[in-house]
Amino acid sequence: MSLIVKMLFLAVSLSPALTLLVWGDAVAWPLLGGIELTFDLNPVSGFFMLLLALGAPLVALPMLRGAHEGPAYGLYALLLLGMQLLLLAGDFIGFFVGWEIMTWSSYLLLLRSERSDLEGAQSYILFNLASAFLLLAGILGFYSLTGDFRIEALASAGPAEQLILAALFGGAFLIKVGTLPLHIWVPRAYDQAPDTFSAFLSALMSKMGIYGLVLLPTLFPQGLAGLLGSLLNGPAAGYILAWIGVITSIIATFKAISQEDMKRLLAYSSIAQVGYITTAIGVGSSLALGGALFQALVHTLVKLLLFITFAGIILQTGQRRFNDLGHLIDRMPIAFFAVLIGIIGLAGMPPLPGFAAKYLIFVALIDARWLLLLAAMLLSSTAAFIYCYKLIYAPFLGHANSPEAKAATEAPWPYLVPQVMLMGLLVLLGIFPGLAIELVIDPVLIGLGMAALGAPSPGELATAYGGYDGVVLMSVFGSAFMIVTGLFFLLRGRMRRAGSAYDLSFAGEVPTAETPLHYGAGMGRELRRIPLVDWILSRTTTRFQAGLTRQSLAASGLLGGLYRRDPQTWILLAVLLFAVALTLMLLAGGL
Amino acid sequence: MHVILDALAMIGLSYVMGFLFYGFYRQFSARVQRRWGPSIWQNFFDNMKFLLKSETLSHGPMFFFGPMIIAAGAITTVLFVPFLKDSDWLQGFSHSGNLILIVYLLVVGPLGNALAVGSSGNPFGVMGVTRGLTRLMGLEVPFFLGLALVMLQHETTSVHAIMAAQDGIAQWNLFTNPIAFMVILLPFIASQNASPFDVVGAPVEVYAGPRVEFGGRLLGVLMTQNMMMTIAKLVLVVDLFMGGATNIFILIAKAFSLFLLTAAISLAFPRLKTEQTVDFFWKVPLGLGVLGVVATVWFPWGA
Repeated sequence: MSLIVKMLFLAVSLSPALTLLVWGDAVAWPLLGGIELTFDLNPVSGFFMLLLALGAPLVALPMLRGAHEGPAYGLYALLLLGMQLLLLAGDFIGFFVGWEIMTWSSYLLLLRSERSDLEGAQSYILFNLASAFLLLAGILGFYSLTGDFRIEALASAGPAEQLILAALFGGAFLIKVGTLPLHIWVPRAYDQAPDTFSAFLSALMSKMGIYGLVLLPTLFPQGLAGLLGSLLNGPAAGYILAWIGVITSIIATFKAISQEDMKRLLAYSSIAQVGYITTAIGVGSSLALGGALFQALVHTLVKLLLFITFAGIILQTGQRRFNDLGHLIDRMPIAFFAVLIGIIGLAGMPPLPGFAAKYLIFVALIDARWLLLLAAMLLSSTAAFIYCYKLIYAPFLGHANSPEAKAATEAPWPYLVPQVMLMGLLVLLGIFPGLAIELVIDPVLIGLGMAALGAPSPGELATAYGGYDGVVLMSVFGSAFMIVTGLFFLLRGRMRRAGSAYDLSFAGEVPTAETPLHYGAGMGRELRRIPLVDWILSRTTTRFQAGLTRQSLAASGLLGGLYRRDPQTWILLAVLLFAVALTLMLLAGGL
Repeated sequence: MHVILDALAMIGLSYVMGFLFYGFYRQFSARVQRRWGPSIWQNFFDNMKFLLKSETLSHGPMFFFGPMIIAAGAITTVLFVPFLKDSDWLQGFSHSGNLILIVYLLVVGPLGNALAVGSSGNPFGVMGVTRGLTRLMGLEVPFFLGLALVMLQHETTSVHAIMAAQDGIAQWNLFTNPIAFMVILLPFIASQNASPFDVVGAPVEVYAGPRVEFGGRLLGVLMTQNMMMTIAKLVLVVDLFMGGATNIFILIAKAFSLFLLTAAISLAFPRLKTEQTVDFFWKVPLGLGVLGVVATVWFPWGA
């Protein structure tokens, strides 16, 4: 019985792929009052559907392991349904319904984790509800301007109205992607969610906010440039959005470095990486959007890979803090390679595709003449090297720091299969960035009415500013590596393995098993000696959040003050007022 | 065939230039400190001695592969930097790359190193790596901003196009875009791991640093790649700011004059702590870079 349910569940997890492959014409469903719901797959939603189609089965596979969990499977299926609804929706009603199904089903899934506490769960649902209400306000505002719910450009709207709409929708989507200072739910939720489900939250659900942000400029006749005019070579409204994204990623990167828990580090890194996407969307040119989409694709793959791998490590060792692991490289070699590929992608190093995404975004920033943003983004992307190193050093290198880490074995196959597949995909995309551009990115850009980036060959990434060839790069690096290794063995002499792990140059001392040799969580602590980093890390957004709470309490107190204790009086007053108004209207000959 | 010969020539040239420049540096610093100093060939001898050691201690597979990754990264970097302009030779694969790619390739080495050092299990080594990565975080921001000013000036990321745009000495970016050069100069010294921004490497006053566990042939590989990498970076700056070179002799002359400038600066100042370095880079070169952006991009009289 449970096997059948599990197979069924796996089949359900393939539903986004099925939708992507067999979706035909648009479906319209007339609702009351002449409004109809339309569902269609356009290139933009197709891109995000592709991410969902890739990620959903890979997350479902490790979820299947172990005891049969009917409710979790059901909620996951509901979540997938909601996200597909959201992506297919051609109007805001379907979009909002999908958004709500996604929010609630993921909330209930989050609650199923034994680690989730009241604070984390409440902040998740409160922030997501705030996002949903902003979205609802935006949708109603949109309807009042157009009289229609379809997602398309506003025909006539004043500049102030456009700005208000942009702020409402932008606020909703920025909460969803965890922009500072509205990010506080992200680390809590990713930390407390069931380990494999964190992968889904980070890799796929954050992309729904990105989907919204990509759609946002299409609502306005001249895109972002129509809102506040242009600055240098890009839209001024986008400049603000881009700075929001960059500041988010800088602060989140330093926060990530100072984390002592693996999943929290990944959560902050997720905020930072999505911040780059926000920045690129702010630039708004075809290069930048290409970079944003590429980054979205790479981030999805990398975060799936890393979260699933770390879920495997937590499953095998029961440890989640950097201090309590170490030297897993011999015991979990596949996990080691997975994390290695993952951090190379995360750091945006060539030859993996993270570099292609970074390249497009950097060139787009130069093209827009926004060099200060470029410098700020570079700060966050080089500081990311430090947390990337922490991610691989603390669990895999150094010395094993707990009994569990000394006895761990490789994770079971439902964890390994997604890891291997994702590693393969990342390497392929790294060698053939042009292929990704042609197949995945360009259709979206054309769908948005922008210039396609194009690629002269599958291996080449080409822009007006020059490009690079992934095939040449990978083959040069690969042959150099093989030649150097080969030559090394041709040289005279022999290699000897150190006698024990304590056979170290240790300042003239001989370390023992009691000597604290693992540098796990301490790494990056010394960064606080840099004034700017200390300044960033010593500030939190709790005061901002507390202020927000105070203001909303005060506002509701003000509203509450209008009501008296005896509601009868108010009802009487309201009835009287209604009667007077009716009478007046009758007298005036209306109705 | 041409490609293979060309690649070998580039690797050979960068290696020879590397040990000669370092040999000169040791002589130069000795004379500044009123010592005799070793011969100019000393770095070559040292390197060969390491490479021919009969025994090498290893701490596991990643400890061994780390230096291989670094060396492969260094060779790749050398092959993606065009050494000459308007020539078929010494081009490597530079037509398939660009400036941003090269800047990222420069970082492959430190990261490969970080893996190997982590694998050795020596906490002092990891401390050294963290210092190196911290310094990288400090220097990369102004360095890249300066390069971005150049890329913006020529509206391309191709090193070839930037070189081609500098015909005569008056068109050198050193003179047409002096702010960019001033912005990158000090971070460039730091990226060469030269004083005053160096990270303590091996047994010095503190027995710590990224190289602490390496010995024998592995140390030889690390030294080789370091010398080649130094030359690749020098040639890159010559390409970008001094108009490139049309033959090997001009290339050596230009690279050497740049090396002399950086060596003089290195010898004049004592080492800063890592956090002081980062703070300095974020204040002085980055501040200058921001002024440069304001002056050349924001105001209409600029580019």
